Amino acid sequence: MTGNNATILDNTNTQTSSSQLKDLSRYVPEKRRKPGEIGFSVICFMLGTLGYYFALDMTSGQFSSPSVFPKLASTLIMIFSAINFWKACKKEKPADTDPGLLEYLMPIDVTVIILMLVGYCFFLPRFHFIASSYAFMVITMVYLHRGKKILQALLFSAIALAVLVGVFRYIFLVILP
Amino acid sequence: MEQSLQYFLIPFVNWQMMALIWLGVFAGIWVGAIPGLSVTMAASLLISFTFSWDLNHALALICGVFVGGVYGGSITAILLNIPGAPAAIATGIDGYPLAQRGEAGKAIGLCTTMSVFACFVGIAVLLVGAPIIGDFSLKFSPRDFFLLAIMGILLIGSIGGGDPIKGVTAGVIGVLISMIGMDPSTGEMRYTFGNVYLMAGISFVTAMIGLFGVSEALMQFRNSGMKITKQNLDKVVPNWSTFKKYLPLSIRSSLLGVFIGALPGTGGDVAALLAYDQAKRTVKTPSRPFGTGAYEGVIAPETANKGAIGGAFIPMLTLGIPGDAVTAIIIGALYIHGLRPGPMLMIETPHLFWMIVSCLSIASIALLVLGLVSVKPFAKIIEIPKEYIMPVVIILSVIGTYAIQNSVVDIFFMIGFGIAGYFMRLYGYATGPMVLGLILGPLLDTNYRRAMQGAENQLLPFIQGFFTSPISLFLTLAIFFLIFSQTKIYRRWRRIE
Repeated sequence: MTGNNATILDNTNTQTSSSQLKDLSRYVPEKRRKPGEIGFSVICFMLGTLGYYFALDMTSGQFSSPSVFPKLASTLIMIFSAINFWKACKKEKPADTDPGLLEYLMPIDVTVIILMLVGYCFFLPRFHFIASSYAFMVITMVYLHRGKKILQALLFSAIALAVLVGVFRYIFLVILP
Repeated sequence: MEQSLQYFLIPFVNWQMMALIWLGVFAGIWVGAIPGLSVTMAASLLISFTFSWDLNHALALICGVFVGGVYGGSITAILLNIPGAPAAIATGIDGYPLAQRGEAGKAIGLCTTMSVFACFVGIAVLLVGAPIIGDFSLKFSPRDFFLLAIMGILLIGSIGGGDPIKGVTAGVIGVLISMIGMDPSTGEMRYTFGNVYLMAGISFVTAMIGLFGVSEALMQFRNSGMKITKQNLDKVVPNWSTFKKYLPLSIRSSLLGVFIGALPGTGGDVAALLAYDQAKRTVKTPSRPFGTGAYEGVIAPETANKGAIGGAFIPMLTLGIPGDAVTAIIIGALYIHGLRPGPMLMIETPHLFWMIVSCLSIASIALLVLGLVSVKPFAKIIEIPKEYIMPVVIILSVIGTYAIQNSVVDIFFMIGFGIAGYFMRLYGYATGPMVLGLILGPLLDTNYRRAMQGAENQLLPFIQGFFTSPISLFLTLAIFFLIFSQTKIYRRWRRIE
């Protein structure tokens, strides 16, 4: 080991994608709100409201009742969501060049993957783990390669599945879905 | 003394025990690295097939799995931002940015070396201070655990990363979700709506896999291009000067880990989060700002959760009370083999104490070797194109979720959490605080209500209790300090801003 090691480890301005990484140590509010940001805070507020509403059915009356924490948590969600709503309203509107709400939330790749995930969940109990997982992996890989590299996808999925089944089923004795 | 040394040396000269410890560490690293497969699950599986073994051999294997498993959780946290275990949630905050910079090898190398050091700190404290710490941990009342959980909740600001209000919102939503299911005190159903699948509550591991694993995969699919970061794997072993530089932080964090680990009901997960927060507050000049790939952000939680291993054995060996889930299983193993864990255990069977200390020491050495050897193959994982790796991550998440309680419904919950986590990330709500809320929610609720019942449901005696017991007073003051340290007055005073 040489001193170079320390240099590598301690280098604060290292390499590649450092500029792409956002500094999370200090919060800098964004000027423009994202498409649907107000709506998301409203959904959170509604979650808090529903949480409180259903907590009313729980036993209450004492400081140690089962409803105390659910009510407290729901109230806090409503308060913080209201603050988030207010802060989002104060921001500038999304720029004209920004994508629309649907485009921002669900780009085509994400939509397709979510649909495939839902389909996978639907087929899992019917076709069991191996068949449905293999189909999911192959279809996803082929889709992400835009219809190319079909053979690689078939091969990689088969190897990955064989390793997963071997390790989990036969070494760790895990029951597969 | 001579006899103690003899007991200590048994695993070193018994090749079968030695081999079992190494095997246990190796298996533990892989089990820990896979989200959903927990050390607890591995240890409980081991109990079933080591039932007829000699106790020493069974303990050797379980100790190996314990040490390896706690370490393994950090690997996927660093490489894929998917913590293998809750104890590695804090590791991913700075570990994943390091991998994005191409420094995954160095991060894992540093994490391995410091983890081994922390294991030895835990073992040393177990050796020297077991009876003292064991007695002290018994003095913690429900009110103190409640205060400890509040301290945990205050970490949301540290692990949120973005807007603190959004972090708190996510954390409180996590607390609310943790209330789903049967109330452990009264048996009353909360938010179950008559649905049998909700009665047992939602496992925070299911939520964790969804919020970290699936949402991360969806975010990756969102980013066009899917560039591969070339990992620098030339020199992964930190040199002496680097080791020395991070030694004070490692000592602080591992001692914190030992202490938290020794408290019954808490473990490496809470220890790691507290240590991360502590590092963020005390390290004035980190290698990079926290959250962007600071080495200190990896070292602090990793040394704390390894220190917690030694700590977890303290109440188990001195009082017969498990420090965490794995030591609870070890207690079960001792009962199976006809032993009675408790204050008399160290007097009646002193060899057991020394044997465990010895097994943990060998496991730590094995961790150093196996951990460093596996850095390169592990780091290569992120160099696989994401079009291939992300579908496999999703399948891994499915297996891990199903393994928790063999329920397909859990897979639906996991995917639901994954989609919710994706939307949360889009709007700047960090997913870490939500998992923290899920973990700490039951701890807060149960201990608050126990403490309140202890104060006969009277608010004034409940509040007075915070200032009359020395431990409660210390924790209350610590909470006030944590809040005060976030204010501008304090930061200006310390010239942080």
